[in-house]
Amino acid sequence: MSNNLKKGGDEAEIAKPLYVPIKRRSFFMYAGATAGATALLLSGCDDDDTGGGMPAGTVSLGSGDVGVLNYAYALEQLEAAFYAQIVATPYDGIPADEKAALTAIAKHEEIHREFFKAAITAAAPTMIIPGLTPDFSKINFKDRASVLGAAKTFEDLGVGAYNGAGKLIKDKNYLLLAGKIVSVEARHAAYVRDLITPGSFSASDVVNAAGLDQALDVTTVLTAAQTYIKEKINGDNVGK
Amino acid sequence: MNLFQIISELEKVDPEIMDRLTHRRSAFTALGNFGKKLALAAAPIAIGSAFNKAVGQNTLMGVNEVFNYALLLERLEYSFYDQALKAATLTVPLTGIARTAIETIRGHEQAHVALLTAALGTNANPAPANGFDFGNAFATYESFLIFAQAFEDTGVRAYKGQAGNIDASLNPTIGGAQYNLLQTALQIHSVEARHAAHIRVMRRGATAGNQTNIFPWIINAEPNGVPAGVYGAGNPVATFPTEGNLVQGGLTLTSVGGKTYTAEDVSAAFDEALDSTTVTNIARSVVKF
Repeated sequence: MSNNLKKGGDEAEIAKPLYVPIKRRSFFMYAGATAGATALLLSGCDDDDTGGGMPAGTVSLGSGDVGVLNYAYALEQLEAAFYAQIVATPYDGIPADEKAALTAIAKHEEIHREFFKAAITAAAPTMIIPGLTPDFSKINFKDRASVLGAAKTFEDLGVGAYNGAGKLIKDKNYLLLAGKIVSVEARHAAYVRDLITPGSFSASDVVNAAGLDQALDVTTVLTAAQTYIKEKINGDNVGK
Repeated sequence: MNLFQIISELEKVDPEIMDRLTHRRSAFTALGNFGKKLALAAAPIAIGSAFNKAVGQNTLMGVNEVFNYALLLERLEYSFYDQALKAATLTVPLTGIARTAIETIRGHEQAHVALLTAALGTNANPAPANGFDFGNAFATYESFLIFAQAFEDTGVRAYKGQAGNIDASLNPTIGGAQYNLLQTALQIHSVEARHAAHIRVMRRGATAGNQTNIFPWIINAEPNGVPAGVYGAGNPVATFPTEGNLVQGGLTLTSVGGKTYTAEDVSAAFDEALDSTTVTNIARSVVKF
C-alpha cells in the first residue's frame, strides 16, 4: 500500500500529447499574445463530432478539454438562468437577507457563464456550444421550498460534476480554474442547504463516511441536468 | 523565433516570467537538456515543459509529500475542533445545532486523517509529538469561529493549490476500495468549502452577534477579523493571487461579454489557491506544532 502513491509519474509524463504544454500555457497565461497559435493548435484536436448526424436540437459538448469546458459552460448556463429567474420573481415571503444572498449567487453564476463563454470563444471559437434553452416548468418560483429544493439540486450537482471532471482535464491550468469555481459552488450548496435545514451543509446524502463529497460522472450529471434543458445534450466525448 | 524572443514576448503579458523561471533552479537545466536531446522541431515543446515546471510554486516534489502536507492540515483541523468541543469556555455558547455542526465537521476531518493515513501507509509522517497548541482560540465563541474560518478558508486554498500536483492516473486501492487520488483530493476540497461556508453562516447568527456583512463566500479578500494573510497572495503571485483577484484566464471579469460586474461579485465568484509554503507559514503564525 505504501507504494500505491508512487505509480505512474514518468510514464504519464511521456504519454502526454505533445501539443499539451504549449496549449495550456498559451491559453491561460498568455491568452492575448498567442491567440492565433492557440486556435491553430486546438484545431488539431477537433474530432469532427459536431457534424456527425445528430438529431436536430442536439448539442454536442465535444471532446478533450474543450469538451470539459463546454460541459462546465452548459451547467453554468443552467444555474445562471435559474438564479436570474429567482431574482426576477422572488418567492413569496422571501426575507431580505435571503434575497440579498441569492442575488449574489445569481451574479456569481452569471459571471461563471460569461467567463466560460469568453474563454472558450477565445480558445476554440468553432467548438463552443450555443446558448441553451432552460426548462424550469417543474419549479414553482413562488414557493420557497420548491425554489430552494431546486437550488440544492443544482448546486450539489455542480459540485459533483466538477469533482468528477477533474481527472478528465489534461491542462493543469484548466484544472486550477475548475478548482476555483467548484469551491464557490460548494459554498453556495452549503448555504442553500442551511437555508432548507440548518446544519445540513454537508449532510450524509452528499458527504460520505470517508468525508468525501460527491464525484459524479458526465452521464449521471447530464441525465439529471437534462430535465431542465430543452436541447438534448451529448457529452459522450467529454474529456476523451 | 528564438528562445529569448519568446521570453521577451511572454514578458509583455507576464512581467514576472523571468522571476518564475529563475526561481526554479531546474527550469533552465531542463531546458538545456531538452535542447540537446530533441530535434529543432521539438524545441517549442521543451520550452513549454520548462514553463510548466516554472509556473506554479511547488515545494512539494512528490505525491507522498502532497498527501503528508494534507495530512498535517487535516490533523490540525481535527485537533482544533476536538479541543473546541471539549473546551469549558465553549460549553454554553456552542450548543444545539451549532454543536452538532462542529461535531459533523470534526467527524469529516477525522475521516480525512484516516483516509490520508491509509493512503500513505508507511510513508505517513508521524503526528506532531506535542500536538497542536491553539493558544487562546477557545476563549470566546467569536475567537473560536474566527480561527475556524481561518482554517477552513486556508484549507480550501491549500487543496486547490495542490490539485495540479496530483497525477490523474493514480488509482490505488485503499482499505479495499479503489480511489483516484486527484478526485479524492477534490472531494475533500469541496467538503472543506462546505465547512467554510457553514462557519461563515454561524458568524452571521445571533450567538455570534448577527455579523450579516459576512457571507458564505469570500468578498474582496475581506478578512472578517481573520489574519489577512489567509486571503492574501501566495508565491508566485501570478499563480496564487489574493482572494480579491478579478482576472481569470487573462480576462478581467469586471467587464466581460458586454456586461459589467462589481469587484465584490467577481472576487466572490472565484476562490484562489495558495502554495504550500505560504499555507504552512499561515498555520505556524497562529498554531504551535
